[in-house]
Amino acid sequence: MMAPLYSYGLFGDEFSLVLAFIIGIGFGFFLERAGFGSAKKLAAQFYLTDLAVFKVMFTAIVTAMLGLFYLSWIGWLDLSLVYLTPTFIWPQIAGGILLGFGFVVGGYCPGTSLVAASTGKVDALIYIGGIFAGIFAFGEVFPRITNFFYSGDMGEVTMPALFGLPYGLVVFAVVLMALGGFWGAGAVERIFGAKQAES
Amino acid sequence: METKSPWRPTRNQTLALIAFFLGALAIPGNPYQGSVVELNTQELATIVDTEVDHVTAEELADWIIQGDTEYRLIDLREEAAFAEYHIPTSENVPTSELLDYPLLRNEKIVLYSDGGIHSAQAWMLLRAQRFQGVYILLGGLDSWIEEILFPALPTDATPQQTAEFERVAHVSKFFAGTPRTGVDAQSASAAIPLPTMDPSAAPIVPKRKRKKKKGC
Repeated sequence: MMAPLYSYGLFGDEFSLVLAFIIGIGFGFFLERAGFGSAKKLAAQFYLTDLAVFKVMFTAIVTAMLGLFYLSWIGWLDLSLVYLTPTFIWPQIAGGILLGFGFVVGGYCPGTSLVAASTGKVDALIYIGGIFAGIFAFGEVFPRITNFFYSGDMGEVTMPALFGLPYGLVVFAVVLMALGGFWGAGAVERIFGAKQAES
Repeated sequence: METKSPWRPTRNQTLALIAFFLGALAIPGNPYQGSVVELNTQELATIVDTEVDHVTAEELADWIIQGDTEYRLIDLREEAAFAEYHIPTSENVPTSELLDYPLLRNEKIVLYSDGGIHSAQAWMLLRAQRFQGVYILLGGLDSWIEEILFPALPTDATPQQTAEFERVAHVSKFFAGTPRTGVDAQSASAAIPLPTMDPSAAPIVPKRKRKKKKGC
């Protein structure tokens, strides 16, 4: 678990698995309810006709960011105990592009493929098969790409630290980015949705 | 007469407004506790007075022998001194790097330096950063050397002192020390060489949960 309750040792591995299960069920449920169990809906964002994925994700980011920010500001949460994924810039760019390709072609990202599989979608089951094949292939070639895998190490870097900006300002900037993104997404949907309806 | 109905935001617009205001309100804030802190000086003074923040060399030796892993032992000295000799299970962290070192606020942290000054200063730094279980090795490494590595039996010892010495001598040998009796006891402990640190031997590191690779 990433959160400080586990780091503080308030519960052990076993209970953290139970918690992860409960949180996972909730996560999957809401992904499904947002329509993310459908490859058509997910792929539609790449054709700019339906940007629900973008909007849901950005809403989640802003909600979590504001929540974490205020909880730690009032002293209820020790952010220094929350795990940050270290940045390895080059392999992460490469991995992001690969994942994007897979997303466009397959219509799912790893999480949503599991959501779709739970509702009995066959394409999602095949997609999951692909994930495992990919993990296996990665394991096989890993010794040859170890150097690349660890290249561009920037440590546990955050945007305020990277740009030397105050934390609060970055929080506000992300909120503005999200609001601008929602507005822009709505406009894009109207344009491309109309074009699709014409054809 | 027609009255213009006032503008009512949609649900999405309401949420956007809330996000905007929370974001704007966040501008002056910083979620991380910076280097500026508030101290409860009365609480700290009480701790210092009651000496509950002390660990004696003997207690520490007991923990190490019993394989107790519920503490982090931090050696605040220079790297070279650490390489020459350090108490088993200790980790070398210079004071300037202490606050960036991965320690948890709920861990039992025992600090030591040569004497007591550096560890007392580092103790204050950690307490200021809201670390709760911070302890000082009483007398520092000097005490450890004097009491654990080279305990001395006075020539005119009482039977009680002798019995006590037997016990301590046992502990001393565990740490490759040299108990001093008779003539040796008169000599300064500084004259006896410290146990050598075999660089090839794996240091005894307290077992703790390995930092797991986490992520989505």
